[in-house]
Order: sequence, then C-alpha cells, then structure tokens
Amino acid sequence: MAKSQILAIDAGGTMTDTFIIDEKGEFVVGKAQTTPKDESIGLMESAKDALTYWDTTVEKEFPSLLAGVYSGTAMLNRLVSRVGQRVGLVLNKGMEDNHRMGRAVQSHLGYSYADRIHINTHHFDPPLVPRNLTVGITERVDMHGNMIIPIYEDEIRPAIQQLLDRDVEAIVISFLHSFKYPDHERKVRDIAKEMVKEAKKDIKVFASVDYYPVRKESHRTNTTIVEAYAAEPSRISLEQIGTKLKEVGSDFDLRIMASHGGTISIQANELARTCVSGPIGGMVGAKYLAESLGLPNVACSDIGGTSFDVGLITQGELAIDSSPDMARLVLSLPLVSMDTTGAGTGSYVRVDPNYGNLTLGPDSAGALVGVCNPEGGIETVTVSDCHVVLGLINPNNFIGGKIILSPEKAYEAVKTQIADPLGLSVEDAALGVTELLEAQLGNYLESMILGKGYSPAQYVCFSYGGGGPLHTAGYTKGLGFEDVLVPAWAAGFSAFGCGAADFEYRYDKTLDLNVAEKEDSEVILSTGKELQSAWDELKEKVAEEFDKNDHAEDSVRFRLFYRMQYQGQLNDLEIEAPFERFNGVEDWDVLVKTFEETYSRVYAKSALSPELGYSVTGAIVRGIVEVAKPKIPTEPLSGKTPPAEAFLGKRKVYWTDGWIDANIYEMEKMKAGNVVGAFSILESTATTLVVPTGFEAYLDENRIFHLKEL
Amino acid sequence: MTTKQEELTTQIQEGVFQQSTGPIGWDGKTLKQMRKEIDEISKETGHYAGLKTLPFKESDPIRFEKIFSKLRGGVVHARETAKKVAASPIVEQEGELCFSLYTPDADSIVTSTGIIIHVGTMGAAIKYMIENDYEVNPGIADKDIFCNNDNHVGNVHTCDVHTLVPIFWEGELLGWVGGVTHVIDTGASSPGSMSVGPVNRYEDGYQVTCRKIGQNDVLSKDWLLESTRSVRAVKYWTLDEKTRVAGCHMIRDLVLDVIREEGPDVYKSFIREIIEDGRRGFVNQVKTMLVPGEYRGVSFVDVPFKDLPVHDYAKVNSIMHSPSKIKVHKDAKLEIDFEGTNRWGWHSFNATPVSITSGIWVMLSQTLAPNDRINDGAYYASEFGIPLGSWLNPDDLRSAHANTWHSLVAAWSPLWRGLSRSYFARGYLEEVNAGNAHTTNWLQGGGIGPDGELHAINSFECAASGVGASAVKDGISHSAALWNPEGDMGDMEIWEMLEPLVYLGRQILPGSGGAGKYRGGSGWQSLRLGWGTNDWTMFVAGSGHMATDCGLMGGYPGAAGYRYSALDTDLKERFAKQLPFPQGADVDPDNPKWDTVIDAKTIHRDRQTVSTEEMFKDYDVIMNYLRGGPGFGDALERDPKNVAEDINAGYVLPRYAEKVYGVAVKEGKYGEYTADEAKTIKIREQIRKDRAKRSIPAKEWMKQEKERILNKEASPQVQHMYAGSFALSEQFTDEFKGFWDLPKEWMVYEEDLDVPTYGAHINRFKENK
Repeated sequence: MAKSQILAIDAGGTMTDTFIIDEKGEFVVGKAQTTPKDESIGLMESAKDALTYWDTTVEKEFPSLLAGVYSGTAMLNRLVSRVGQRVGLVLNKGMEDNHRMGRAVQSHLGYSYADRIHINTHHFDPPLVPRNLTVGITERVDMHGNMIIPIYEDEIRPAIQQLLDRDVEAIVISFLHSFKYPDHERKVRDIAKEMVKEAKKDIKVFASVDYYPVRKESHRTNTTIVEAYAAEPSRISLEQIGTKLKEVGSDFDLRIMASHGGTISIQANELARTCVSGPIGGMVGAKYLAESLGLPNVACSDIGGTSFDVGLITQGELAIDSSPDMARLVLSLPLVSMDTTGAGTGSYVRVDPNYGNLTLGPDSAGALVGVCNPEGGIETVTVSDCHVVLGLINPNNFIGGKIILSPEKAYEAVKTQIADPLGLSVEDAALGVTELLEAQLGNYLESMILGKGYSPAQYVCFSYGGGGPLHTAGYTKGLGFEDVLVPAWAAGFSAFGCGAADFEYRYDKTLDLNVAEKEDSEVILSTGKELQSAWDELKEKVAEEFDKNDHAEDSVRFRLFYRMQYQGQLNDLEIEAPFERFNGVEDWDVLVKTFEETYSRVYAKSALSPELGYSVTGAIVRGIVEVAKPKIPTEPLSGKTPPAEAFLGKRKVYWTDGWIDANIYEMEKMKAGNVVGAFSILESTATTLVVPTGFEAYLDENRIFHLKEL
Repeated sequence: MTTKQEELTTQIQEGVFQQSTGPIGWDGKTLKQMRKEIDEISKETGHYAGLKTLPFKESDPIRFEKIFSKLRGGVVHARETAKKVAASPIVEQEGELCFSLYTPDADSIVTSTGIIIHVGTMGAAIKYMIENDYEVNPGIADKDIFCNNDNHVGNVHTCDVHTLVPIFWEGELLGWVGGVTHVIDTGASSPGSMSVGPVNRYEDGYQVTCRKIGQNDVLSKDWLLESTRSVRAVKYWTLDEKTRVAGCHMIRDLVLDVIREEGPDVYKSFIREIIEDGRRGFVNQVKTMLVPGEYRGVSFVDVPFKDLPVHDYAKVNSIMHSPSKIKVHKDAKLEIDFEGTNRWGWHSFNATPVSITSGIWVMLSQTLAPNDRINDGAYYASEFGIPLGSWLNPDDLRSAHANTWHSLVAAWSPLWRGLSRSYFARGYLEEVNAGNAHTTNWLQGGGIGPDGELHAINSFECAASGVGASAVKDGISHSAALWNPEGDMGDMEIWEMLEPLVYLGRQILPGSGGAGKYRGGSGWQSLRLGWGTNDWTMFVAGSGHMATDCGLMGGYPGAAGYRYSALDTDLKERFAKQLPFPQGADVDPDNPKWDTVIDAKTIHRDRQTVSTEEMFKDYDVIMNYLRGGPGFGDALERDPKNVAEDINAGYVLPRYAEKVYGVAVKEGKYGEYTADEAKTIKIREQIRKDRAKRSIPAKEWMKQEKERILNKEASPQVQHMYAGSFALSEQFTDEFKGFWDLPKEWMVYEEDLDVPTYGAHINRFKENK
C-alpha cells in the first residue's frame, strides 16, 4: 500500500535529490542528474530512484502524496552566472548610472575581513542590466510622497521605444520613493504594457512598487530586476514540474521554499524570494522540530565543508533580515537571518609565515576534502586532514567508503605545514586546529546570542549538517546551553525542513509614522489608522495569493507585524503586534511597550531613547494555511546499553590526554534510550558524532541525541 | 629629598585627594610608573615590553590564538551590534566608528574594523590622562566613563569623539576600551563635521579634554546638558554617544569573561605578547613585501582662502606641501619622514602627529599588512619624523583641525606610490596602487531640520571615490576612500531622509579617473536640489586647482576639482512647464550643458572648491563631485579596445581617445564606439615621434628650471609654500638647493612675500639672526 506523504525536492546545479517521507517520518533519498531544460525529467528519475528503496514506483506512490516542496539553485545559478533575461531598466533621468554603480558595498560583499580592507582585491560583478539598456524619465517625488517634479510625459514613449528597439525581454521600472507615490511608476508601466501590445511582443513589465514597496532604491531595484532577470524564467520550469506531477496522479499544489522561511505557490506574484531557498531549509526544519518538541528558543548550527551557519529561533520565531545581500547584491527580500563564517571541515589551515599564527579559512577545499584525499589534488592542509590525523574519522568509511582517505598523506602535510612551524607534535597540532576551530565557532555562536540580548542558558542548541556533530561538543563546551541536540537523521535535515515548511506568504510595506514620546491622542489614532490600513492592504495581497490555490480568506491565519525605531534611527526592529486590530490609544501603548522591551534586550537599557519619539517604519502581514507536514520519528525506549550490533569496535584517537581507545558505533543501529559515554564516535554515512571526554550522549525516542556536558 | 612624583604617590596612598582612587596599576604601581617602564624597556631592548621571546605563545600557541580570536571576534561583533543604535548614516551606513582594546598603560591590543586611525588616537588620550595623574584627580574607578575629542590631545579632528571606559579586575586596572564615532556636528563655527570656516581652535568646535562624564556606568546630567547644548544635530550626538557606550560595555563584559576563563595573569601575559607579536609580524611583512632603500614622493593641495570671509590673517591663498620619504632599513624597520612639510596655517586642515603615526595604519592595513593583527606592535616597529611647526605638528594651541583629511589624503598619496615602487620591484604587480584620489568632496551644511531642531549634514558619498590603478588592472571606480576601504555611497533615499536636498543626478564623470595603461578608478557626481530647506546654508571642501596625486610610472593623475552651484534659480517654473533643467552629471565641463538649461542669479562654476557657508534655499542646486583615482603606466600602451569600451561606459569622452590614448574610434548605429586598430598604430607612432621632438635632455631642462627659480618666477603661492618649508627645515633647504645647484645666498623668506605671518613662531632664519 502506498505510504508516501511528503515529497521534498532539492534541485542542485548537477544533481537533483528527492526526499520522500512516509507517515512515520521515515524517508528515502533518491538522486538523479539535473535536467536544466526541463527539470521535471530529472525530478522523476530521482523520485524513481528513491522509491526503489521501498520497492515501489512513482505511479503507485504519488497519488497518495499530501504535499510537495521544491527548492533549487537554478535561479541563483542564472543570477550568479549572469545568464538571465535581457532586461530593460527605467530609472529617474539623471540617475541612470545608479544601478551599474552598484552601491560600492557590492564591491566587497561576501569578502573575508582581510580582503575587505585589502583594497586591490575589490571588484564589481557586471550589472544585471547594462548601461545601454537603461533609460531615464524625468520625475521626482520626495520622501513623503510630495511631487517635486511632475513626470515629463513626453519622455515616456521614446524611452520605452528605445528599450523595445533593443529587444529587451522584460522591463523594470524603479523611481525614487515610488513606494510613497506609486502613480508615476504605474503610469509608465501602463504605457509600456500598451506599447508592448502594440508591438505584438511578449514582454512582462515590472514596476518596483507592485513588488517591493520598501525604502532603499538599490535594494528595491535589484530585487525587482532579479524578479525579471532570474525568477521569471523559472516560472516556466516550475509549471513543467507541476504539470508532470499531476500527470503521474498527484493531487497537491507544488510549493517552493522561499527566503522568508515559508513556502509559496509557483503561481506567486513574487518569485525572486525563492532564489535562496537551499540554505534556510535547515533553519525551517529546526523551527518545526522545536515546535514539535515544545522548545521556544533554539540556536541552530550547521557545519558544512566550507562554512559554519548559525541562526536563532527566539520565542518560536525565525529572525528576518529585511534588506539582506545575496550573490553580491543588496536586496529587499525578507530573508531568514543567518550568520555565516567561512570555517568548515574543508577550510584550509595555514601558519601565517610572517605572524606565525594559525589561520583557518576563509577559503576551503570544499568537496575535495583535503590532502588526505588522494584523488583531490589538494596540497594545503584542511581541518579534515586534522580529523584524519586524530583518528576522528574513519579513512575507509568516509561518505560510506566512497572516498578512501590516506592518513599518511594527512600526517605528512600536517607535520610540515603546521606542526613543525609551530613547534608542536603532529597530533597536538591537529588537536590544536580542532580546538581553535571549535573555540572560534563557540565564540561566534555565543556572540550572536549575546548580540540578540539573550544568553546561551536560555537556548537549546541544534546541530546538524555533515560536519556539525563532529564538533558539536567542542563548540558548545562551556557555553551553558540548556540542552544540545543532534538529530540522528541530521543528514537529511535540510530536506526535512523543506517538507516541514508552512504554506506562508509574507508581504512588507514601508511606512513613516512619527509619534512623539508624549503625543495627542488624535495623532496616535490617525497613526493607528494608517498602520491598520497598511495591514489591511497587505492582508488583501496575501489573500489574493492564497486565492490562486483556492484557499479562501477565512482559512488563512493572519499575523500582523510592525517595524519600529526611535525617530531618526536607521535600524528598526520587527515585532509581532499582540492584537488582531488597532482599536485605540491603549493599543499604541502596547506597541511601544513591546518595542521597548525588545529594544532594551538587544541594545542594553542605556540605549533606550524615548525622548526622541517613535517611528513606525513598516507593516508586515504573514498569512498561513495549514498543510501536511512530515512526522517526527518516534520509537519505543529500550535500555541504556547500545545493542551489540551497533558496536563496530575500537579505534585509536588522539585527544587531550594522548592516544586513547575510542568506542565506535554505527549510528543507525543505536536504539532509543541508549546512552554512550566518552570517548565514543558514532558513525553514519553522512555524519560523525563525537562524544569526547567530559561528555555523554543519550538517544531519545525521537531519534535525537542529547549531548550532555558532565 | 622626594621628587614631585614620589610626593604625589604618597599623597595618593594617603588619600589626600577626595576623588583619588589610589594607584590602580599592576603590583601597586601607578599608571605613570607602568607607562614609563614600558617605554624604557621597549626602547632599550627593541622589543615591546622587553619581550625577546614570547613564552606564552611559544609554549601554547593554540591557547594564545584562542584568546586572540575571542577578543578580536568580540570587538568586531560589538561594533556591528552597537552601530545599529546610531541614527547617523555616517556611523550606520558608512561605518565611521571603531572600538579598540588597550593595556592599562594605553597600548592597543586588538581593534575592530572601521576607522582604525583611532588605534592610536584613543591611546593618546589615555596617555594624556596618565600623564596628568588622573588616578589622583578626578580618579579612575570601575564603571567610570571618560570622553575626549580634543584635537591637541591626540585626536584627528573635533568630530571624532572618543568614549573611554576602564576595565578593572579586583581593584586592579587591566585595561581600557575605547570607542569612537565620527559625529555629524560638534558645534564648530559652521555646521557639519568637517567644517570650512573655522581657522582657529576656538571656532573648531566643542572640545572635551579627557573628561570624566559618568560614574557607575551612568552619564552625568551636567555632561548631558552641557554637551547637548554645545552641538547642533543633538539627536545624532546623543545616539552616537549611546552607540559608543553600549559598544564599550559589551567589550568590557567580553574582557572580563576572558579574564574569568583564563585568569588575570594569563590575560596580562597575553596582552603584552600580542603586541610584541604584532611588532614582529609587521617587521616580517615589511621583509616580505619591500626592498630596502629610500622612496621619496611629494604632493600638494591648495588652500584658497584669500577671498573667503575669514579673519584677515587667514585670508591667504596657499599650498600645503607634503614631501615624504619612506626608508626601509635592512633590518626591516620602516621609517617615514615628513621633513620639508611646510608651516601650519589658519585653516581647518592642520593635522596632529598622532593622526599621522596612527593614521598611517589606515593606509598600510589596506596594502602592506591587510590582516587583523594590527595593534600598537606595528607602531613600535616603525619610526616617524614629523617636523614641529609644520602643518603635521603645529606649535600653537590655536591651530584648527576640523577638516584635516583635506590635507591628509593628499599627504598619503605619495606613500602609496613609494610602496608600489617597492612592490613592483619585488614583482607584486597586483599590489601596486598608483595612489589615492583626493577622496572628497565634502558636501556640508546646516540649518533647521525637518523636526524644527538645529541640524547639520555632511554627505559621505566621497566614501565611494575612484581608486588608483594597479600594474595589472584598472583602478576600481566609485568604490572606496583612502580612509575607508569598505566604502559605500549609500542609498539616495536614505540621504534624502536626512538632508533637505533631493537628487537630480548621480552619474559617472568621464575623465575623472587618471588615464594610463591601466586607468584610475572613475569618480562621479551627484546633483542636489534644495527642498525643504529652512534657514539653511551649504558649503564644499575638496581639491581644486591642484591634482593631489600624480599617477604612477607614466599614468595621469585623477582630474582636479571644481565646484558648481546655482542660487536663486528658475527651476520651479521649469518643472511646472516640463522644460529641461540640469540633470545627471556635468559630463563635459568644457562644454557645459547645465548652464544652458537654467537661469540663476548666481552660478558658481569655478575652482573655489573650498568654500564657507552660503545661504541655500529651495530650488537652489549644488553639485557634489566625488573624485577619481590616478592611473598607471603610459596611456599609449592601453589596449585600444578598452579605450572604446571606456567611451561606451562613460568613463572617457570620445575626443580624448585620440588626444590622450592615441586611439582612433568610430561611432556605430546606437552611438557605441569601436577602436580602429590600424589607425591607432599610426596615431601612436606619431605621438611618440612628437614626444621625442618635444623632449630635451634632463640636464638641459634642469638648467632652464634653475633659471626660473633664480628669477623667482614661481607663483606667490608656490614661493610661500617653499618659504614655509625653508623656515622650518635646514635639511630640506639644503637638499632643495643642492638638487638645483643654487647659490648660497639664494633664499625665499615668508616675510618678503606680502602675506600675513601671524602665528608663525619657529623660524630658523629669525633664530639665526
């Protein structure tokens, strides 16, 4: 009988992975080559591969699926390799250079500290729209939406004609402060649409205000361009997938993972936000898992080959960055806030020849692992080489034995490149590298939590990703987390996250509502009215999106948020309004109180500045519709001692007290209720959990390890 | 007999002073004793704190590195978090803030990102407190807060305001944390953080001299009242201060955490060793990158004050002279000598020695040592010659400094060239940088803001100026400033929230980057319209008559500056009638289009690029010109295709393709240009022939120039500039006269030049008389 419930698709540049989850939370993973021209082909192959593990077929299983979520890198690749649509851009006359000038910050975005200050390394990527496809039209409005210069109507048609003559495939319009005065953009949009029709062309026209009505023109313009340049071409590809899924009998609306941490329909108005779906899957999975386990505050950590990603779930909410950068572009998408540092298991390890200090990263060998990989051609020591020297990873069972590692090569490289220059033994040098990495990651995690005004004692730490569990004990040591959890199914966590995401739209609008510390109730009431009307407008927008998938407005759970700051500040805080509708002066007091509580936590009480007055800078509406989600696996508890078949034997490991015999276990064979003490290594195909001296690990009924500092 | 110091120490111990906190240094020493010991032993041994070995680092390099990474990471993180409190885009968008951690005796240990010139300035303030026995009066206690922005106590300029917080552990001072922000207004005689108009200290803004402004982590009411009544744009001042205090407290918590984990003794060893480690690392860096020898360079910047409404003694058109010599010793000591710098003057462009000795790291960390190990160790590895009485070291408390970067950016440019020659010699072609642009204009002004309060502005768009070319590629355009490699121009919608000036243009300016085989990064222009002004004034500050850099190995300098503004215009009517008006950039200033589409009572289109407050109303316009960087190599060697692309991209005007680059171009259907390679070869051949024809032997040229020197043909400003250098430096005079082979009796004296010599103190000619 068919048992598949949730389908999660992760379409990478070369491989498409499918995860099919059953009613018990168990899942199978399939792989196939990505087929960029029609992604549905690769997807079907991948699903077929997955279902062979359950001895069944797509035709049998797909009709029982309750939900399917797609995340892919096609859009991001299109953006990064600059192979998107040929977009024409309409800006204010006199400011046509603004898009290609970038924002100078884009010349060093994503750089390590050393390169950020090293001016000769800076460079701009080519603009998404070249200067010769950019035209200007005269108009100006001010920050309040007052017209300074009327739109010069005579300029509109010639400007658009110029773009049509140059065979653009899409047109983007972005005027300064358009979110305060949309008429000019819309006028140009309507004329452009008319001209496109007259010219019998198939060109979509994007006015920035229809998509991202928020302040900061570089962010808004870039994002609207991404919509036209990279996202729109994906729509066709997603429709192909949707059709294919229906053809094999599935009966659900395919959703796509989006940057705000929810999933949206493939018919959604704004698709650009699905560009960065991949890396946040883990965070969304963590949020779902945290909800299921009843944990309000969770620090998520994920070490991969190249980077360490951390993010916080606070009071059950993911933090959102509303003007993030991605692919070296400043954007105005709501993005699940995650901090990334260039330190992973593949990070290069060097001794600075001039300063004599150890440096880790920021560059890395990535999938080539390190010198220990005889096929990799890597010459510089990596963190993984140190793991091999220490005996923490089994050279013959790396990624299930797909790569046989050479301990000799690792040893020799660590000796000549690290140990000898530092005057340490090879083992101490390798251990030192591990300790330094873990200390850096620990500091990073701690400072991030402290920076949000909390302490680690208020958080549970989740660790997942291929390299995470190996270092979890090290980087959580001494921080005093309430608990440290490592799901035994950590390897598929990101896909699990995609499957677990809400069906959720989120829309933002910039506001400028200023209220003095002591204000007349009249002003407060009119402010409240304006805020409420922004919420109403956004609610309508969200409802329209859900309507595309036949979800009536009354089935949508709406949540209202506002952004607030002291007048004149440049950074605001996003806070949920603790009511459903603004009704009166007392509601304003509630908004202020909620803001100041958050503010004093984040920036210290001494930074409270009520004397400056308050500004409401934005309204946000999130609408959620219930969808099927994967189950968290459960199994009955058995005894503390792991079953004999889980024990794989002993291996020499070098640790602080010298060489010791470590117990090696096969992670999958351990039973709920088992406890292992130090020094143990729990291996699975895609990850390794280390239980070092001073720690023990307990596997609970949800197949989650609890790593406890003794 | 007891010395004064011993007497004081006794008094401290006996608690004679009510405020006295007693000796708070290590092992019962006063801070003054500690400072003296460090100086002596470092000087004597050539190693910071006499550390010939690094026992902690050598025995436990991992633990050492872990402490470093925790402190460094924490300091950087504190900066990122605290800056969000600020309202000023200068701090929040442009990142003009910095935090640094010090030893009890004021040596810097680790520094955040940001304006790292302040590694040394805040150290200088702490040293000043130590020298003045602050332990006695006003006392230095746990949870105290101090403030300094006194230019003559080691600040860079008045607007850089420091917050200093001591860190105690069990009654002993284990260090200081300092935070600095570039505040938008500090109450100078004209608004804006880098005013033009102040010509002496008493017009240069509200100066706070190492004052205790808070206790028990709370700022005093008298301080809050006085300080907020002394500056304009109070909101920014207040939130900047909160930013600094919040950051300092975050870092203090971090340090206490480290001390709790590692113990105070380990921390004490660490902070000494990390500085010596920084010194050694820097020495090694010099050995790796440079070739021993002397690298000389010079730059100039104009000070056109004759027609400005300033005091009569300041009404002088002069030039600031910045000769410098980098000497790389065989043992890799780096010596930078500014002998020959001319006299300080009555303008706000003077500098203090610490802004040189500390500011040098702003530049060196972008090129010679781009890493996170910069601390006072690098300072101990180098030596500076800064002549007293020069504009780098005024011998008069009255000197003004508000816009010191006007001259510093000029003085820095030859240092890039000196280092680049060395990189070139070593084969580090990618590291070559032809120099920095004169990273201006500073578009400033003030009046009554939208909230009815006094307001001031300083547009930091010049943080995205053009950068010098390297020996392998063009300089990057519109991207950085000498004082901030992580440059940004910010969003127009953000600037418009703060300034009563809306944008009519933001466009690349052709020809602003210096020509060369590799072109200097391009500059650009903003055009702003008065909108919502109320009792408002504006002024500009940048280079005008002179190019402050000179290109490298045949490259051209970036274009010099000019100003444009139009007052009492007819723009309102033009907008209403949908008529043309000035937009974008002043693309071809030789054939200005703007002037044909505007009627105005006053149009300033001239080289008065340093101006004082001028009333500014709605519908007036003012241009902000952000300068381009210098080029590298002979323009005739540039790939002709790149020249055509430069025209298409608006970096070069078509007529200069042939004139400067010797490239023939032709225009296509959509106005795009392509190079005609065959024709180009011929043109270039001809230009080379013409060059050869024009050239004369260097000896011959020198002879001709010598005649002009003997006849004193140089302009009065040039003569005045040299006279100011001659009066201060015999060495420079001898070198100058020796080079030109001038007779003994030849000399130019300041007093013979019909310019005011008011405030000129040191004069070796007078002293000799």
